[in-house]
Amino acid sequence: MMPRYIKIFLTLILVASLGLASVPGSLQAKAPAGAKATPVIKVTVEDSPEVTRVKISGSSNLVYNLKKSSDWLIVTFRALAGLKLEKSPFTSQVVKSVDLAKSPEAYLLIIKAVSPDFSFSHSIRKSPFELTIDLKLKNRVAAKETKPVETPAKTPPPASGQVNPPPAVNQSVERAGQGLTSSQSEKKAFKTIVIDPGHGGIETGAKGNYGTLEKDITLEVAKKLKERIEGDLKYRVVITREADVVVGLERRAAVANNNKADLFISIHANGSKRAKARGSETYFLSLNATDEESRRLAYFENNSGELENRLGEQDFDDLKLILWDMAQSAYLKQSSQLADFVQNQLNQLLNTQNRGIKQAPFKVLTGVACPAILVEIAFITNPEEEKKLQSEEFQTQVAEAIYQGLSQYFQLYEKP
Amino acid sequence: MKNNRNKKKKLRALLILFIVLAIIIMIFLFGSRKEKIRHERGADRTDQVTGKKADLPMKQVTLFFLSDTDGLLHPEEREIPESDLSGEARAVVEELIKGPQTGLMRIIPENTRVRQLFVTADGLAYVDLSRQVTEANFYGSSGEMAVVYSIVDSLAYNFKAIKKVSLLIEGNERETLGGHVDLSNPFQPDYSLIAR
Repeated sequence: MMPRYIKIFLTLILVASLGLASVPGSLQAKAPAGAKATPVIKVTVEDSPEVTRVKISGSSNLVYNLKKSSDWLIVTFRALAGLKLEKSPFTSQVVKSVDLAKSPEAYLLIIKAVSPDFSFSHSIRKSPFELTIDLKLKNRVAAKETKPVETPAKTPPPASGQVNPPPAVNQSVERAGQGLTSSQSEKKAFKTIVIDPGHGGIETGAKGNYGTLEKDITLEVAKKLKERIEGDLKYRVVITREADVVVGLERRAAVANNNKADLFISIHANGSKRAKARGSETYFLSLNATDEESRRLAYFENNSGELENRLGEQDFDDLKLILWDMAQSAYLKQSSQLADFVQNQLNQLLNTQNRGIKQAPFKVLTGVACPAILVEIAFITNPEEEKKLQSEEFQTQVAEAIYQGLSQYFQLYEKP
Repeated sequence: MKNNRNKKKKLRALLILFIVLAIIIMIFLFGSRKEKIRHERGADRTDQVTGKKADLPMKQVTLFFLSDTDGLLHPEEREIPESDLSGEARAVVEELIKGPQTGLMRIIPENTRVRQLFVTADGLAYVDLSRQVTEANFYGSSGEMAVVYSIVDSLAYNFKAIKKVSLLIEGNERETLGGHVDLSNPFQPDYSLIAR
């Protein structure tokens, strides 16, 4: 009798435990399989007599961003989980190739055109996601559309940070030729210097004890510097803000890049919790290099020369894209030299304590594709220096010092 | 006949008894595990709140605060209760917020809270701070550098498993604290800001 009960008992336990054990197990097994499938985008290209139409349909709604850069049109997709490209073969008079590349933060769909002289417009439909881009070669249509280059172009570099949700429907972007002829001849004659007065609008920067705001000082000094440089008639100057308004940090870098800047100078007044902190210092970018970034950086340092001249056209095309968000990494040497010249002049012309040249991971510098520095004139949080910063005379001296520093840099590094 | 029926009845009663027993055993086995974990956690929490209690094992850590004299970060020793990695890392940041006990400076703005702290398997610590950390008048370049690197250096210095630190504000990525230092990439420690 007993053995039979024991048998039943054991079977029961076995069945019960099996049943229970299988529940969490099956849940675990399902989870990865049930996770979102990698989004897929399908791309078709079709020529019509009027335009070339690129249709991108996605398996789910995607956050995107459009940017034209010479002969590419780059569609940046914020898709962290992955993205797959399916393209059907095509022949087109305008579009040479369509490829997918990956940057640290996004996927980039690169539409390569036969020439940089094209304009484009796009429209979007959601659920199902369909992005339609019409490309048009420019020289066929209106060849003369020369606008002054003064206004910075809209698109920020596809750097880190938020990508804004796309503007709604059918937005024509007509900044392709951007006065090519005039800007190119201008460029030969003049170097372009972009001056960036720190902060603005509600972003006040550091505050002094007497209520002085960093944003006001930086704007005053920037204006004086602009005047000083223009007075010499040697260089072209673009300023990232002329009034007390908010300008995003990536936008500031974009202003430099879109204007093909030769130098970028960001002007700031320092702040510290230590009231006695004082003096001037000049920064250039330090990368808080991750392993991947340092490898990229090492690669470029070993292939010295200007970013543009480093590689064959083909290799370069692909690499530049990936590097765009870290554009400054290719100019660190020049930036440190520029910082050196400017800091020396500050030391000579101002009576401030020399804090030297330093490196820091400043957001505003990361995307700038030319030698770039950030000048901390003096400490606004030090009552003595705050008073100095307010004085017109001191501001003019600062402008003069920065100007002397950058002209020295140009004299030494300008290639005929 | 009677004998047979009795036997069947007995059998059925026993069967039911066994099923009930089996279920009770199962509940006991699976249920008790969860309870144990909850107990451990509960104990842990109260100990953290009340500080040093009984023979709780403590761990010595080095915190970096700004010095008013030279503007560099200086070390200060502190004891925190032993816990798991993210628990200890959290205690380090909380001690930094509380401020120094010697003559150094408190730099992380008052009322800042650590909302969350977790460390990924590949050594990236996410430190999620409340928005108060962005509210300071002294956020020029130097001020921001001091706040960021007192946290980053303190964490990387004390915990070998932490290689990089990413700062989040109210659970979100933010560009900067006050317009200067880039928070969108994780930080590696920069010991050049520490006094030798």
